[in-house]
Amino acid sequence: MTIDQFTKEFESARSQLKSYLLRITASIDDSEDIIQDTFIKASLKLDTFRAESSVKTWIFTIASNIAKDNLRAKKRWPETVTDICREKALTNPDYFPEIAKLMQSSQQTEFEIKEHITFCLTCIAKSLPLEQQICLLLKEIYDFKVAEISEILETTEAMVKYYLHTSRSKMVSIYEGRCALINKEGTCHQCSELNGIFNPKQNFEVEKNKIEFAKKANDPNREQLLDLRFKIMKEIDPFKSKGAILQLHHIQHNRQIMEEFFEKNEN
Amino acid sequence: MTTVASNGKAVTNKKTFSRETAVSIDIQSDKSIIWALLTNATDFPRWNSTILSIVGSIGKGEKIKLKAKLDPKREFKLTVKEFDHESKLVWGDAMGSRVYTLKTIGNNLTNFSMVEKIGGPLFPLFAKMIPPFDEAFEQFAKDLKKEAETITKTN
Repeated sequence: MTIDQFTKEFESARSQLKSYLLRITASIDDSEDIIQDTFIKASLKLDTFRAESSVKTWIFTIASNIAKDNLRAKKRWPETVTDICREKALTNPDYFPEIAKLMQSSQQTEFEIKEHITFCLTCIAKSLPLEQQICLLLKEIYDFKVAEISEILETTEAMVKYYLHTSRSKMVSIYEGRCALINKEGTCHQCSELNGIFNPKQNFEVEKNKIEFAKKANDPNREQLLDLRFKIMKEIDPFKSKGAILQLHHIQHNRQIMEEFFEKNEN
Repeated sequence: MTTVASNGKAVTNKKTFSRETAVSIDIQSDKSIIWALLTNATDFPRWNSTILSIVGSIGKGEKIKLKAKLDPKREFKLTVKEFDHESKLVWGDAMGSRVYTLKTIGNNLTNFSMVEKIGGPLFPLFAKMIPPFDEAFEQFAKDLKKEAETITKTN
């Protein structure tokens, strides 16, 4: 493969790679750095590419390895990440003026319920062990097959299946206990709260009922509800969606809060 | 050590100073999946209906705290005595040990066996206070088989 062929392949994978890395790292800067490092590393190793997997799988393997190295020492986020970050946002006098400024200066600020569901899923998935989060995203959002994920993670297909199964079970259990959209006893109402802030003229109940999984809240098949969340996430590119500016702001806000949270709890 | 058929039925051998319960079952799954299930402490209660909680890390020399459905008020403080990757796991205390063994017996087919031996010089004094393990062992093996085979079927 020539460098030109590789560059072409890389560019066609770039958009997916960028959103994948953002969801793994919760940082625009880190995801851009990893993309840069991946391109350089892959370019230098082009002669080692044996076409046993697709170029896209190879690129994701290199990027995932760099991401894993960067994240290895970092703690995984708690399941209550959204509660912790909500409290911090509400007590930060600069938070809402900052958002108002963003909303005035950009058109990508239509932060509707689907955007929040995607943002929430990104944060909650960061409470999974890293390998499980990677498996889940690659399979459910970026359409990689089990065999390809086993190459990316350099593990067996059996372990990928284990990671997928346990991560899905954990996600179902977290949402069941927390999400008021699917469980009346759920403790998290951030969808409706944020909708009230960003779209005060909208009727939340009406908006909510346009979302397939909220309509199916009483469906006993919770796995199916999780799949519907993944479907929503798949349709939203965090860098290009109508609410991208706020999506990126919220993700990075939560990462900053989490770093402060861990720092405070270590001291 | 007690030898049992791989049919998921538990067998108990009682002696004056010890008691040994064993179960064995064939599981249509790769050893690595079963090993992952047996060594992920926090995940145990999700798939194993005989375990209420395991606190700690299941690794060589590690200490864990286990609560079982059979005696929910009691917390067992155990040490991981052996940890041979995807092959053998032993945990226990001064009273006895539980040994988990995995053997590949065919393509994607693994034999799982679990044996627990308890005993000692004072065993006859409290033997009657220890409930039989047979039912819990059979359920453990059944749960493990079901979970591992479900994971194996993931596409």
